[in-house]
Amino acid sequence: MAEFKFSQSPHIKSGNSTRKVMINVLIALLPATIMGIVYFGIPALLTILTAVISSVGAEFVYELILGKKFKSILKRFDFSSAVTGLIIALISPANYHLYIPFIASVFAIIVVKMLFGGTGKNLVNPAAAGRIVAFISFTTIMNNFVAPNIACIFDNVITGATSLQSLLFDGTRLSTLDLLLGTGVAGCIGETCKIAILVGGIYLAIRKIINIIYPLIAIAIAGLVAVMLNGFDFGVFLPAILSGGLIFGAIFMATDYVTNPVSALGKVVFFIGYGALTSILRHFTGYETASFAILLMNLLVPLIDKCTLSKPFGYKKAKKEAK
Amino acid sequence: MKARKGKYFPFGAHVPGNKELSSGSMIEALPPQEFLTINVCQHIGAPAIPVVEVGDNVKKGQLIAKEGGFVSANVYSPISGEVVDISAKQNATGAMQTHITVKNDFLNEEVFLPNMVEITPSSIIERIRLAGIVGLGGAGFPTAVKLMPKDPVDTLIINGAECEPYLTCDHRLMIEKTDEIYKGIIYLKKALNVDKVIVAIEKNKPDAISLFERFDDLDVVILKKQYPMGSEKHLIYVCTGKKVGLGQLPASVGCVVQNIKTAIAVYNAIELNKPLYEGVLTVSGHGINTPKNLLVPYGASLKTIIEYCGGVVDDSVKYVAGGPMMGKAIINLDVYTKKTDSGLLALIKGEDDDNLPTNCINCGKCVSTCPMRLTPVLMEFYINAKDFKQAEKLGVMNCIECGSCAYNCPAKRALTQSFAYAKAKIKEINAKETAK
Repeated sequence: MAEFKFSQSPHIKSGNSTRKVMINVLIALLPATIMGIVYFGIPALLTILTAVISSVGAEFVYELILGKKFKSILKRFDFSSAVTGLIIALISPANYHLYIPFIASVFAIIVVKMLFGGTGKNLVNPAAAGRIVAFISFTTIMNNFVAPNIACIFDNVITGATSLQSLLFDGTRLSTLDLLLGTGVAGCIGETCKIAILVGGIYLAIRKIINIIYPLIAIAIAGLVAVMLNGFDFGVFLPAILSGGLIFGAIFMATDYVTNPVSALGKVVFFIGYGALTSILRHFTGYETASFAILLMNLLVPLIDKCTLSKPFGYKKAKKEAK
Repeated sequence: MKARKGKYFPFGAHVPGNKELSSGSMIEALPPQEFLTINVCQHIGAPAIPVVEVGDNVKKGQLIAKEGGFVSANVYSPISGEVVDISAKQNATGAMQTHITVKNDFLNEEVFLPNMVEITPSSIIERIRLAGIVGLGGAGFPTAVKLMPKDPVDTLIINGAECEPYLTCDHRLMIEKTDEIYKGIIYLKKALNVDKVIVAIEKNKPDAISLFERFDDLDVVILKKQYPMGSEKHLIYVCTGKKVGLGQLPASVGCVVQNIKTAIAVYNAIELNKPLYEGVLTVSGHGINTPKNLLVPYGASLKTIIEYCGGVVDDSVKYVAGGPMMGKAIINLDVYTKKTDSGLLALIKGEDDDNLPTNCINCGKCVSTCPMRLTPVLMEFYINAKDFKQAEKLGVMNCIECGSCAYNCPAKRALTQSFAYAKAKIKEINAKETAK
């Protein structure tokens, strides 16, 4: 007879694992990645490869320096650093300055994630933090967007400025269809084609990795706040939500488990805050601020968690009787 | 009465049932064993005190250990023969407890309880106490004590949820012994002096539901397939809409919950004068060659039961007494069945969990799963930091250890384990503080 295993109940567990979650996120990011490469070509591909490889590499190098065996690192590797790297690439503009995604990825993995204890221990979203480091350090390059080399459906081609920048500065608006497909829209690699992002979001919702309600709340709130800030001009609703990194951030970055409140109520608060902050900061700074909003909300998570604890089953009853 | 649908309680886990392994096999009796080793502590409360000595001859149904207090239960011999040993042996979880070993003489001499003269609530409760009946759903709380609640009750709920995966013994009993269960329920109803009886059966047992619908005075409730539906507090909520307060007993909302098997034991004790010395056990899991529902005398060794079920396949790695969600892992097979056992599982590699815990990724799955609506992720964080006071504040004492959080955890954290540990630790700390 085989050896006896002894452990506390439950003796069966669901097939869910961190690695499966992360692989599902990678799959969900595929449509946006592919559309990014289609739109922006070789520089996009190179940026994505650089970011992913340097993220994964940074994690392995860090673990090896700590004296872990290569095999055990491989066994415990959960693809979360690959997700981080891919997201960093997708929220960067496509160009040949490959040192920028490299620096952003290494910073995100080493400083933001590994120094705090690895997967699950980071205080803020590593990808958002990585992007912000790159953005602050190389503002000119990070803000210099190229339009995709696919012709615009309606010929109001804009080069250099993103739809968000044009919306914020000169009030020109692209057609909703262009914004949805990302055709002719200058922007980050993965953020222009909203359809691809939404497909990824729907995939995640079907696999029950995320609850699609929360990103939708954030997007709706961001649109409404933009409407309010523009003197109740409902015409800005769609352009505001379809511009910049709002949708990408809501679906792939704000939903990051680690830096999310745990309760349903807490998540609602978190996503409302994300949507509102994005719109407010955009309005007053003139930059894309989805990452900043995520970072700020991340720092509030412990507080939100503390304030939104659920009451145990049967709690009300006990309170009544105590009176 | 026509069955009605039960409510849905928020959260909880959806665990694959795996009941088809044994749900089709009729209950059969384990052949007589040469030796039975009977534990004197088969219930919650004080252990029973042996009243026989080595060398004594006992008959089937003879008292061998007398209840050792108010919350305790009598123990009877399932066979006739000679007492050959009274000593401390390991039980399924490794604790040392007194066991009485009886050698079978295969004469099958019986000595049952006397006939009941009159059937009144107090005489029924007295008979239940005498017969050594305890809650057979798993907790093993003496039934007689449960039938004398401090608060007035108006509803008796019979728990036929059997929400634990793999287990099918209650299901088989409901099909094969419907009338006996019904009569047992009527006695329980009389003992409690209540009008309303609810029989709660999970949706995945339609045959049992239709059998109970025949009785006009039973209110049959179809439960959603959800884990932990059989938890007392949740069962009361889905059947009656009442919530039992924290740290309160079901009687505080006028309910008493009894198990299907307890109802049969009550019937046996009153109509057949048979004390509680045998019960039905599901032997299942993918590691068992022929899963069965077995009627076993208490005290049969698990080894003989598994051998009777055709042994185990080679890659079985874990043995569990009870269901896979709340049952206890067994350290060796030289342990003996007792009243509270409802299952014996052999899990094969891949069926049990063999993943080591990784870092918590804060996904909140445990929070959206916890049927008690606690915050397992934060509780575990504080327990790991040895901050038991904070864990208590978060409500760890309300944890019912159902295992839903640990089941769903993608990081495979041993959540239930740390809560069980914290509960014991907090009790210890509080006891020390009150002593001061």
